[in-house]
Amino acid sequence: MFKLPNLNIGKISLLVAIMTWLSLLFVDITRLFGKLNQMDSDTAPEISYILEIIFFIVVYVYFNHSINNSKKNNFIDLIWRAAITGIVATVISIFISIFYYSLGESRLASDPLLRNVFYHIDFGFATVFLVSCTLLWKHLILYQKTKKVVQQWQAFEVGLLISMFFVFFNNNTLDYSFLFGLSVLVLFGASLAVNLKWIPYLTFKEKWKSILFMLLIQFSAAYLFIQILTYSQGNTLYLNLTDNLFLLSLFAFVFIYAVFSFLVTLFNLPTSSVFEQKLVEAINFQRLSQSIKPGENENQVLDILMDSCMSAAYVDAAWLELKINEDDCKVIHQRYVTNSERKDLQNLINSTRPFSEFSWQEKNNDSKILSGKIQDLKYKSVTITPLVINKQTVGRVILLKEVKDGFNKEMMNIISTFVGQACISVENYRLLNEALKNERYKEELLIAQRVQRSLLPSTLHHDETFEIHGFSEAADEVGGDYYETQILGDNEFAVIIGDVSGKGTSAAFNMSQMKGIFHSLVQLNPTPKEFLIKANKALSHCLEKNHFITTAYYIINTKERKIHYSRAGHCPTLHYDSTSESCEYLSIDGMGLGILRNQLYEKYVYEKELFLNKNDILVLFTDGIVEAKNENSEEFGYERLKKVLCKFHHLSAEEIQQKIIDQVYEFIGLSTLPDDDYSILVIKFIK
Amino acid sequence: MLKIETSKKSNYTEIKLIGEVDASNSVELDEAIVALVENDTKNILVDGTQLEYISSAGLGVFMSYIEDFNDKKISLVIFGLNEKVFHVFQILGLDQLINIKSNKEDAVMEL
Repeated sequence: MFKLPNLNIGKISLLVAIMTWLSLLFVDITRLFGKLNQMDSDTAPEISYILEIIFFIVVYVYFNHSINNSKKNNFIDLIWRAAITGIVATVISIFISIFYYSLGESRLASDPLLRNVFYHIDFGFATVFLVSCTLLWKHLILYQKTKKVVQQWQAFEVGLLISMFFVFFNNNTLDYSFLFGLSVLVLFGASLAVNLKWIPYLTFKEKWKSILFMLLIQFSAAYLFIQILTYSQGNTLYLNLTDNLFLLSLFAFVFIYAVFSFLVTLFNLPTSSVFEQKLVEAINFQRLSQSIKPGENENQVLDILMDSCMSAAYVDAAWLELKINEDDCKVIHQRYVTNSERKDLQNLINSTRPFSEFSWQEKNNDSKILSGKIQDLKYKSVTITPLVINKQTVGRVILLKEVKDGFNKEMMNIISTFVGQACISVENYRLLNEALKNERYKEELLIAQRVQRSLLPSTLHHDETFEIHGFSEAADEVGGDYYETQILGDNEFAVIIGDVSGKGTSAAFNMSQMKGIFHSLVQLNPTPKEFLIKANKALSHCLEKNHFITTAYYIINTKERKIHYSRAGHCPTLHYDSTSESCEYLSIDGMGLGILRNQLYEKYVYEKELFLNKNDILVLFTDGIVEAKNENSEEFGYERLKKVLCKFHHLSAEEIQQKIIDQVYEFIGLSTLPDDDYSILVIKFIK
Repeated sequence: MLKIETSKKSNYTEIKLIGEVDASNSVELDEAIVALVENDTKNILVDGTQLEYISSAGLGVFMSYIEDFNDKKISLVIFGLNEKVFHVFQILGLDQLINIKSNKEDAVMEL
């Protein structure tokens, strides 16, 4: 396949431009030589014109390429480039003039051939200057371009292209059609020259540079224009290349734009500090909003805040007070003021209205700037801006100026914006930290959940006479419900169910204490009543004042087919009697553990026994089950539970447990979340 | 939701509980009682006519003051509990330690 070589347009166009210029020079010199020696070898001027157009285009292509590829694209570099080309062209032209001046009246001075060569040199450099300048102007004009400006510029370029060929109609003489074309292009150029959006972005120093360069460009353009006019005025012998519509339009355009830029930059000088200030404010604002990154702290934001406020309001002294507690604050970021000076000022400010009205406690301090004057020798005006985070006033920025009424509305606006942004940054930072902390807590809770789950037994002790099945679910990550079994001896089992007051983590800790107590006491093989009395005594030393535990303790003897039981404030056990085929709650009094923490407790616990037959069922549960509420705030209640058992008594223990839980969930509905722990233990005698 | 209205009467102070006492707001109940104790109130009447529910945390608040009140000779009487709420006190055995009356007249008589 044919492959296009990677062409270097810059080098090629430069080479072609030089070649074209040389051939143009050669053609014109030959023609002049023939004319002078009355030879009949006159070459048509059209050839020169064509070469001239090619030269224009190639120079245009070269500069377009070179400017687009240029790395340095800031405005001053561009203008400097235009200025330096202008200076080079002008200096060369001046040298030529000096050269002729030094020749005086000698023969060489009037030699038309030599003069024509210099004319070509001047023409070449003027073209280079004008074209490069035009293209640099293009960059400036199209800064922050709109579609309209781009179209306008394209139309201008088309106009310039057409103007190159105008030479074929009027042979570079200044006739009326020429003047018409010229005025059209000049007006067009002038209309483009109002696009000066780049000027405000220059700094004060750059503006001065720009003014100087623009003056140089104006001078170069004017000098070259006059120089070229003098050439063409005194010339009859050789071909006029310079009274060209394209070239003269460029002169006009370059000059007009330089004048416009010069004047606008000059008038922009006094206001440039305001623009610079606004730019600094915008940057500060951005710094404030992005300032807290991982690893940084709030102090850095406040530091930036101080700098921003100070530069925005031309402040002479400032400090920032941070609230530590109700009546104490700490001063950080103190600027241009000594400690003793600051203390005096603090006292003065706090006793001067309106600053004395400042209240740290007030809820709506947000964006409430206090501004006023103080009776101080040095500082005359003060503002206080509160830092409000999450409706809490956490600090205040105090700014002082040596002039009276030094803070105008705009300054206060920008200060309040800065402070607001800083507060948002700090708040975001705190929220982020909190979120990270919460994430850790969540993980810790998951561990607690796993540990607590393991506190509930996975298998329950029993023999072939009865089935036992348990279920427990916590409303939060961890809960306070507890059940367990233990073998006491041959055919004897202990069963316990308990519920710790409150819920969540505190309940979970107390539940694990209960487990410890159960395992200790069960070794002693106590009666249910003894168990509760001892447990109450033990818990009296463990439980917080306002916590208690409800529990029920059973000893099942499968040989004698009876149970002994005691209740300590726990929900009564539901019993299904297979002989009468009825469900009843076992009634027995008993006070919760930890309620009465002295000997009197013994008086409030009782013990009963119950004989059990085949198919008798015991349902032990916690209050979460009967207190489960549906969306109408109705409780599941003891009656519903009773009905469920009556209905499903023929099922196995596991199935009954499942049915009860299903019924409870069905009752509360999907929309409500369980707000208590649910636990249930079903015991069924199968023999 | 729980609303607590405290009103000072000639020889006693009445706390009216409206709504539900649960783990999230039992602290409010505790604060209300602490405030009364600090004011040297000797007779406290708790109006439970509009108390719809009390959780174990709420019961814990009442429980925690039993011994304290006995020592300081402060009498606390609860009245007007609905059947369901009274049942909760009863199951736990608190009805044996706290004076609970069915209506205000009986409760005032107890003071």
